[in-house]
Amino acid sequence: MRKTILVLVSFTTLSLLSACYFTDSEWYKADPVADDPPEVSVITNLDTLYNPRVNDSLQVIYELSIVNGELYFMEAMVSDLTVHSSDSTYGSFWIYPSQSNETDLDTLYLDFYYSSNTNTLADIIGFEASITILKYVIDFSEEVEP
Amino acid sequence: MALAFLLILLSPGAIAQKFGISASAGMGSQGMDDLKYLQKYILDTYPVEGRITSSFPPFTNVSLNLVKEWYDHIYIGGGYSFSTTGGKSSYSDKTGSISTEISAASHRLGAFLSYIILGGERLDLSLYGRLDFNLSSVSIESAINVLGYINRIYNQYRSISPSATAGLELMYKFSGFSMGLEAAYLVDFAGNLTNVESKDDLNDPYDLNRILTSDWTGWYAGIKTQIWFNF
Repeated sequence: MRKTILVLVSFTTLSLLSACYFTDSEWYKADPVADDPPEVSVITNLDTLYNPRVNDSLQVIYELSIVNGELYFMEAMVSDLTVHSSDSTYGSFWIYPSQSNETDLDTLYLDFYYSSNTNTLADIIGFEASITILKYVIDFSEEVEP
Repeated sequence: MALAFLLILLSPGAIAQKFGISASAGMGSQGMDDLKYLQKYILDTYPVEGRITSSFPPFTNVSLNLVKEWYDHIYIGGGYSFSTTGGKSSYSDKTGSISTEISAASHRLGAFLSYIILGGERLDLSLYGRLDFNLSSVSIESAINVLGYINRIYNQYRSISPSATAGLELMYKFSGFSMGLEAAYLVDFAGNLTNVESKDDLNDPYDLNRILTSDWTGWYAGIKTQIWFNF
C-alpha cells in the first residue's frame, strides 16, 4: 500500500512538473477605431497630354498633396519594370524608349502608397497602406520623319 | 552544507528510525517587483496600446523531500522544490498581434529542520525552517505578427540566490503515511539576472547601473503527503 502511494505520489509530482510551468493564453483584443482616410490628390505634367510620345526621352513630373496622412512611397512602372521610386511627395523622372518592349503604346503606372488611418497595428507601424494608382498611355513608337 | 546535511541524515545517533518521503503541492505568491517593472517597461515600448493580461500571479509550488526523524519531535530532511509564475502583455487586432511572455521558474535544493510543537496520537502540528539554494530561470519572449510577417525575440536569464523559509504544517497520521496542510513564508535574497548565452546582466532600462533580480519572496500554502518507512 505504502509503496503504491509512494510510486503514485512521486510519479505524479514529477510528471506534473513540466505541466506546472506558467502559461497565459489570454490576449488583449483591441478594436481600433479608424480615423478619416487621408485626402489625396496627384497632379502630373501628363494630365493634359493625350498619349504623350517618348521619342528620345520623356520627363514625368508629379506632385502629391496629402491631408491627414503620410506618403510611404511612390513607384512608377512601365509594364512590369520599375522606372522610378521615391518617398517624396513631389519629383520627376525620365522615361526612355528602352524601358518598354512595346513599339507603340504602353502604360505608365504611378502607384502612391500612403497611410490608411485605420489605427490598426499594421497601419501604425507602416505595414498597411492605401494606394492610389494613376495610369497614362505612353506612345513608344518612333517619330516618323515627314 | 550538503555534506553536513548528508552526514546528519545518515547519522546513526538518532534515537528514532523513521525515514520517509514527502511530497507537497500548492500555490505560492512571489514578489517579482523587478520583473513586473520590466513587464511594464516593455509594454510601454509597444507602438500600440497593449494590456497586461497577467502579472506574476500566485502559481504552482511543488516539493519532494526526504525526511528522517532525528530525535523525538525533531525531523530533518532535504530535497527539491519548484515554483513557477509569469506574466504576459499583449495586443491583437485584425491585422496582427504583439505579445511578451515572461516565464519564471525557481528550482530550490535545500535542507530543513522541523519540530513538532503539538503532537497527538493522530495530529501533529510542526514548525519548520528551511534553507535553499535557489536557481531561478526567467525567459522573456516577445513576438510580433503583422500581416503574415513574424518576428520573435527570445532571451533566457538565470540567477542564483539563497532563500530561507519558515512554516507550519498540520499532518494527520494514518498507518504508514501522513497527510495534511502546510503554510510557509519564503524569503528570497534576490539574485541578479544574467543572460544565459551572452552572460550580460539584465539591467534596469532606466538605470543601467542597476541589475534586475528575480524575487520569490512570498507566501506558500499547499497540501502535503508523507510516507514513512521504518528501519
